[in-house]
Amino acid sequence: MAKAHKIAGLKPLRSYHENARIILSQRLEEVYTWEPFIRDETRREELHNMRISIKRLRYTMELFRVAYQNRGQQSAVSIYTEFLAMIVDLQEILGDIHDADVVLAVLTDYASQLGNQERQIAVLPGIVRLIARTEKTRKADYETFLEKWDQLSAAGFKQKLLSFLLS
Amino acid sequence: MKWGSAQIPVIKKMATEPAIKGISPDETLEACARQIIVSYFHEMMSYKEGAKEGTDIEFVHEMRVTSRRLRAAMDNFADCFPKKPFKKHYKKIRAITRTMGAVRDLDVLIVRFQNELTNLTEVEQADILGLIGHLQWEHKKARKPMLTLFEELEKTNFETEFLEFFRG
Repeated sequence: MAKAHKIAGLKPLRSYHENARIILSQRLEEVYTWEPFIRDETRREELHNMRISIKRLRYTMELFRVAYQNRGQQSAVSIYTEFLAMIVDLQEILGDIHDADVVLAVLTDYASQLGNQERQIAVLPGIVRLIARTEKTRKADYETFLEKWDQLSAAGFKQKLLSFLLS
Repeated sequence: MKWGSAQIPVIKKMATEPAIKGISPDETLEACARQIIVSYFHEMMSYKEGAKEGTDIEFVHEMRVTSRRLRAAMDNFADCFPKKPFKKHYKKIRAITRTMGAVRDLDVLIVRFQNELTNLTEVEQADILGLIGHLQWEHKKARKPMLTLFEELEKTNFETEFLEFFRG
């Protein structure tokens, strides 16, 4: 799992709100460092790292919610909540893809362990069935993720979120 | 821990966002960072006894998620604190996340495979029951490093030291 990017330019003695801009913009950029890999469904590690970066952004947005809530504008509150919901949505679909990857690894390892013990390739119908089922849902989840990502990209999600966070 | 088919626990995807009181946008980052880290730490440790007991899998889940939130906060606010002691405390939190993660991942897998059983033939079910048995054995093994870490944290007075450092 990739480490969190170090936050540059923090000002501990300046306001929470001022630092929210510094931190959130860098956490958003961290998510996009994984974008070049998402068109290849076999890049499991990079998809997993993108999920972790998105989760980090989500937790950080939750931490700084108060910095955007106290502007006195109802619209700012609901815009922030909407952006956060989109982040959670991406995290969840990437989570489903990762879960499927873990399940596939467990099923394959288990079958090969039994195969080694019995000095033959284990034929386990239940395992074979679950592998096929999980591969199918993984494929569907990956396609859903790309659709969501493309929709957000077409709508200028990154720039809009960045402008909002820096405003 | 009970895993009979009538007692399959529901897997919660994400713990709810903990509310942190007294944070103001105009307060200094350092003051807020201390408050947030201390608050998350208390929340995380509140699940420890339940996680040790091990009868309800949600305690491990909640403790792991809160440790991740705490780490995310520490990653964001690292420059507010002296580097060396901060790193020492950070490493302990990372160890908590890791050992809890090993247990939680197996909890999730066991429940997932239990849920898959209903849609399989009897022959197929036998394979998956074999796998579940194997994972339960792995789960028992995975709890040991978690319990050892808890013991070590108690012996070394970690909780008090952590709170003293971050309260300032």
